[in-house]
Parts: sequence; C-alpha cells; structure tokens
Amino acid sequence: MDYNGGSVIAMLGKDCVAIAADLRLGNQALGISADFQRVFPITDRIYLGLPGLATDVATLYERFRFRVNMYTIKEGREIEPETFAHLVSSTLYERRFGPYFVEPVMAGISRTPTGKIKPFIAATDLIGCLNFAKDFVVAGTASQKLYGVAEGLWEPDLEPEDLFETISQTMLNAVDRDAFSGWGAVVHVITKDKVVTRTLKGRMD
Amino acid sequence: MVSLAQQQPIQQSFNPYTENGGTILAVSGADFSVIAGDTRQSEGYNIQTRYAPKVFKLTDKAVLAVNGFAADGNMFVKKVKQRLEWYRHAHAKDMPIRSIARLIQTMLYARRFFPYYVYNILGGIEEDGTGAVYSFDPVGSYEREACRAAGAAQSLVQPFLDNQIYFKNQTPAPGTSFPQHLPLQTVLALVIDSFTGATERHIEVGDGLEMYVVLSRGSTALQSLQSIRGVQEITATNDGERVFVIRKELKKD
Amino acid sequence: MNSFAQRFSSSGPIAQLAKARGTLADDDDDFSDAVWGSEAGFGNVAKGIPTFTVPSIPDPTSFLQLHTDDHADPSCRIKIQHGTTTLAFRFKGGVIVAVDSRATAGSYIASGTVKKVIEINPYLLGTMAGGAADCQYWETYLGMHCRLHELRNKERISVSAASKFLSNLVYSYKGMGLSMGTMICGWDKTGPAIFYVDSDGTRLKGDLFSVGSGSTFAYGVLDQGYHWDLTDAEAQELGRRSIYAAGHRDAFSGNTVNLYHVKENGWEFIGNYDVNALHYDGPGDVAGSPGHGYGYSVRTEGISSANPPTSSA
Repeated sequence: MDYNGGSVIAMLGKDCVAIAADLRLGNQALGISADFQRVFPITDRIYLGLPGLATDVATLYERFRFRVNMYTIKEGREIEPETFAHLVSSTLYERRFGPYFVEPVMAGISRTPTGKIKPFIAATDLIGCLNFAKDFVVAGTASQKLYGVAEGLWEPDLEPEDLFETISQTMLNAVDRDAFSGWGAVVHVITKDKVVTRTLKGRMD
Repeated sequence: MVSLAQQQPIQQSFNPYTENGGTILAVSGADFSVIAGDTRQSEGYNIQTRYAPKVFKLTDKAVLAVNGFAADGNMFVKKVKQRLEWYRHAHAKDMPIRSIARLIQTMLYARRFFPYYVYNILGGIEEDGTGAVYSFDPVGSYEREACRAAGAAQSLVQPFLDNQIYFKNQTPAPGTSFPQHLPLQTVLALVIDSFTGATERHIEVGDGLEMYVVLSRGSTALQSLQSIRGVQEITATNDGERVFVIRKELKKD
Repeated sequence: MNSFAQRFSSSGPIAQLAKARGTLADDDDDFSDAVWGSEAGFGNVAKGIPTFTVPSIPDPTSFLQLHTDDHADPSCRIKIQHGTTTLAFRFKGGVIVAVDSRATAGSYIASGTVKKVIEINPYLLGTMAGGAADCQYWETYLGMHCRLHELRNKERISVSAASKFLSNLVYSYKGMGLSMGTMICGWDKTGPAIFYVDSDGTRLKGDLFSVGSGSTFAYGVLDQGYHWDLTDAEAQELGRRSIYAAGHRDAFSGNTVNLYHVKENGWEFIGNYDVNALHYDGPGDVAGSPGHGYGYSVRTEGISSANPPTSSA
C-alpha cells in the first residue's frame, strides 16, 4: 500500500456528501505525478475513490465500469449507491486469496421511495468487507491522520459549503503529516442537483 | 532420552521491552504551558490499569510527560527527579527548563546502546517567563517546539493540532492575522478535543485525562483557569510559577 | 594486634572497612562527584569520553539492531528519525550549507521544524543526516573539544582537525550502530573547508557534498549550477534551489530550507524558506531570487507552442 501512496476520505453532510483524494503518485519515496486522479465518477451521483496500488486502481476502475454498465443494461436503470457498494464488495472478494491492493471509498446520494434525499458513504478493506458509516470513512497511507483530524473537525448535518471546508481542511492537514500522500488534492461535493468539483493547491513536498 | 553431553546451550533472544500504549501532548502559550496525557496503561489488547499517570511534576516550572514502555518511563522520571534534587542541593535553586532539557538529552544518550524505550515531552516555563515545550526521541535528540503529541495516537492528534494551533492550511481573513499564541481556554479545549477524538479511534487511548498547566509568575491566564471545575493546584507558594492539574474522564471502552 | 601491623593486614578491621568502602564506591560509579556540582550534565568531560550503559548479554550489538531501525526495518519498536537532504559546497565566497527540516518515522512526518545544521561554534557548522541524536550529541561534544583546543593552544582548531576528531570518535564506536552522515564546514587558515564524515569512519575532503535520501535530487541541480566563481547571491540561490528540488521530489525530505553561509569571519544564517512557498512564489525579496516560483508547473503555466515564452533565458 505504501508503494504508490495516496489517500481518500468521504464525509456525510446534510442532504449532501463529499469525497476527497490527494493527487500524488509515487514510486516509494520518489514523487512521480501531481495529477493522478484516484476518484472516479460511477454515475452522476456516485463517486468512487481507489487508494492503493496504482496498477490495481486502473484495473479495478475498468472492471467496475464494465460491471456497472452491464447492470445498467440489464436493469434498465441507474445503480443505487447501496447496490454499488455490494458490487464493489463482491468484486473484491472474488480475489479473496490474491487480492487487489486497493481500499475503495465511495460516496453518493439516492432518493428514497418517499422522495427524501439519502446521502450515503461506505468503505471496504482490500477483500471487500463493507463499512457503512454515519460520519466519515477514510483509506490510504494517511488513514490514521485522516481519522484524527476528521474526528476533531467533523460535526453532523453540515451544509455543502461547510462540508467542503471540513473535508478540505481534513485532507490537507492529514496529508501534510504523511510522506506518501499530498501533492495537491481534489474534492467532490455531491448534492441532490449537482456535483461541485474543486482542485486544492496543496503542499508540494 | 537425550544425554546431557549432547545438549547445546540455547540462546534466548533478550527482549526487555513492551509497548504500553497511551498518548501524551504538550502545548506552550505566551506565559503558560499545558502538558497532558491519558491514564490508560495497556499491553496488547489488555488494559493493565485505568489509572497510571504519565505526566509528572519535576519542579515548580517544569513538567515531564513520558510515553512508551512504562517501566522504563517510571525509572527515567525517577532518575531525572534525583538529578534535579542534587542540583537543588548544590545550587539552592531549581534547574532552568532549558538545562533540564539538555540533562534529559545526556541521560537518554548515555543509554544509546541500551535505550530507554521512552518518548519524552518536557513542558514548563523558560527563565524569561515564556511557555516552552521540548520533545525528545528515545535516544535524546531534542527540539523546542510550540506543540507536540507523542505516543500511540500521535498521528491522529498532531495533524489536528497543526491545523488548530499553527493554523496550517488556513488563510486569515483579509486585513487580519492569526494570533501568535492562543489563550489558555482555547488550548485546554483543543487538548480535550484531541483526547476525546483519539479515544474514539484508538483502542490504547482512554479512561482518564490529566492536564497539567504551568503558569509563569503573574500570568494573566490564572483567572480563566480558576473558573474551571475540578482544577487543583499542586504548588505550595503562589508568588512564583504555579502548577495546576485538571483531571477529566475519558471513555472507558 | 600492633596498630602498625594492623594497618597492613589484609584481614583486620581496617582492611575490611577499606574493602567495604571500595565496594560501595564501585556501586556508585555511575556518577562521579562532578555531578553533584555545576558540572551536572556534561560534567562527564572531566572523565574523558562518557561511559555508556550496554545490555549485559553476549552480543550487545545484535541487541541494538533487534530493537532499533538499523536503516529501514519498520517492524522495530524504537524508531530513530531518518530521511534528509543536506548539502554543502565550497566556492570563492566561502561555504554554502543548506538543509531541509523534515524528520520521518516510517511514513509519518514526525517533525517539519528540525534544525539539521548544528552550530558547533561561531566558525564551524555540522550537518545532520541519519540518527538525529547521534549527530546532535556528538557534534555538541565536538564543540566542547574545539573550545578546549582553543584554550590549550591559543588558536582556533582547523576544520581538518575538528573533523578528524569526530571521525576518530565515531570510528571507535564502529559496529555499535551509530548512524550519522555529516559535513563539517568552516573557515580556517587554509580558507573555506568541507569534510564529509560518516559513522562508517569515512572522512573525505571535498568541494561539494550532498547527503541523505534526497541527495540525488540535490546533486542534479547542484552539479548543473556549480562553479567556483559563483557570487554570494548566486551560491545562496543554488543551495536553496537544490534543497527545494529534493524537498519536492523526495517523500522523506521537505517542509523548510535552512540556509547558512560560512565566510572568513564565521558563519551567517541566511534564512529559513518554506518549500511550498518556494514552489509557488519563490524565495521572495532576497539575494539571488529569480522573482517567481521554482515549481515546474508554475514556471511553465500558460506556455505552449501557440504561446511560446518571450525570452529564451
């Protein structure tokens, strides 16, 4: 997991979710790229972060894209975040004894049958054990640091702009204490009618 | 049966160290210093005790927090206190904190080849009345800082403190600037938040929190301190530096 | 018994008493009488090289290797801070010493404010790479002996002699697990001088050195820009720019740059520069500043074949 570095965090807000990731791709201590996207849109309302081994990040993203497309064709509708989380989980567990070195983090929102907005975040370990949290989920080389800052800054029912500020501060300060993460970050804030994506200037060392 | 003559001596590996968990933390202000530590002592998944102090008053203006291997830590504090008492007998005054810091370096380095498995943080008041924090590695390299967390949850607490104390990654509103030193009340609130956060996410942190506050002579932080419930003074005189301790409960699960 | 005979008897009460005193004194050998007085701390200089506690097992060296991270074993308990970029070079205007300020323990950045230049005395600087405590302690100790040399010989110690003292000292501990890679820099009768000294016992005289995990990156910039006739401003900028390069690319280096310039009348601290600020904005209003950020993406922003740079410089 330390080979390429990288970290992802997702947070829950009031009728919104946010997911943030750093942009560093490294080869051990050597920084290679400051523009490595490890968060991918799955649908208009679901984003998936894949921190871990870069080769597996690329492979897994393609596999998920394939499986989500197949699902969409078969079902004739967009996949729900909860369903996608289980798809991630089962895809990873298929490789139980030779796993992908990736710890996915996902964020999305769905509409309940009554028309209410339901924000959703989840994370799994590298063999697909799901963790549905009601506050925040983290993964990657800076996970411990992310937990610490998030535990101090996060509060329930944050509005989108406050959630953006919270997740950005959490990300930037956590990766500044991690040798293998950093070199800028990207944040997606997902609300019921739009997704706002911002690139953060981070420390470049 | 194996004959005795055939038996070879078996070398056991010599492992005198364990890790006893917990976290310590110190922050310095303009004219005060806060040194805190949780009171849980554990070995692996077992809690040995819910109250084992990790923070110790050395003099009226110096407090030492030790973290790592508890047996080494307690012995180290004992030896530092002994050296400080000798100094008192020889010079009829307390050793200044910057000298205590250098003393700790030489004491740790004397064990370079059989280290004390202890991370030390020394907090207190400098001779010029300013708050000071010195942090050490197990073999004695040290540095004066404004804030430092060490121990099991250091990686959880330190980035939070970078953000809230050094205002890292924050930009002040136009025409304003961030304060150089924070008031005592703010620091205490941050210390409590740090430990409750660490308690949530780290199994080795919890049970109780001890916060030592060292005030310089005539510190203005005194008033805000006296309004805190359960604060207890542990210095005998109030004409010099003063040391207070605040104890709080942390989650025990 | 005759009191005279008693004095020389090996079994009489006086002999017993003397023997007891001897045993007691042995027990208290950890501390000389010096520690009771003002010599507490470095008072051990009275006894020469201080004594170290060593575990009482057949092979103390393997004990240390088991418990401390001898190079890069992450499983050990006692983490000694590693990861560094330091450099020093000689030029016509003296010696430039530049270092980063990051200390890492595994992937955790333990500190971003480490002082990796050790001010041995007003004329000598030492740099710190490897074990932080080893460098701090022995270079402080070296400072004491440089002062003693001054007092004894009524002249300043040469950089050569100072570095040889350190080199011989660490060599006497060879195989015990000390870890240091240091440059002793100064100005003596022979002019500016740099000696590289490490814990293997290597001691090299040279014009240009870089030590640490980021040294390859620093050398890249340094070699490209180095020549003897650099002006003071150019030399300072080269040092700063080289450490920035290492801080940028090397995960275990960064945070800030500390820059020193050793001149005929001793060293001068030039400044502390945030690596991130250097990347985006450059060093600011200082000698040798290019007036813009060092970062590649910053320098090339908006430049393309359709919109080429105005000057070829």
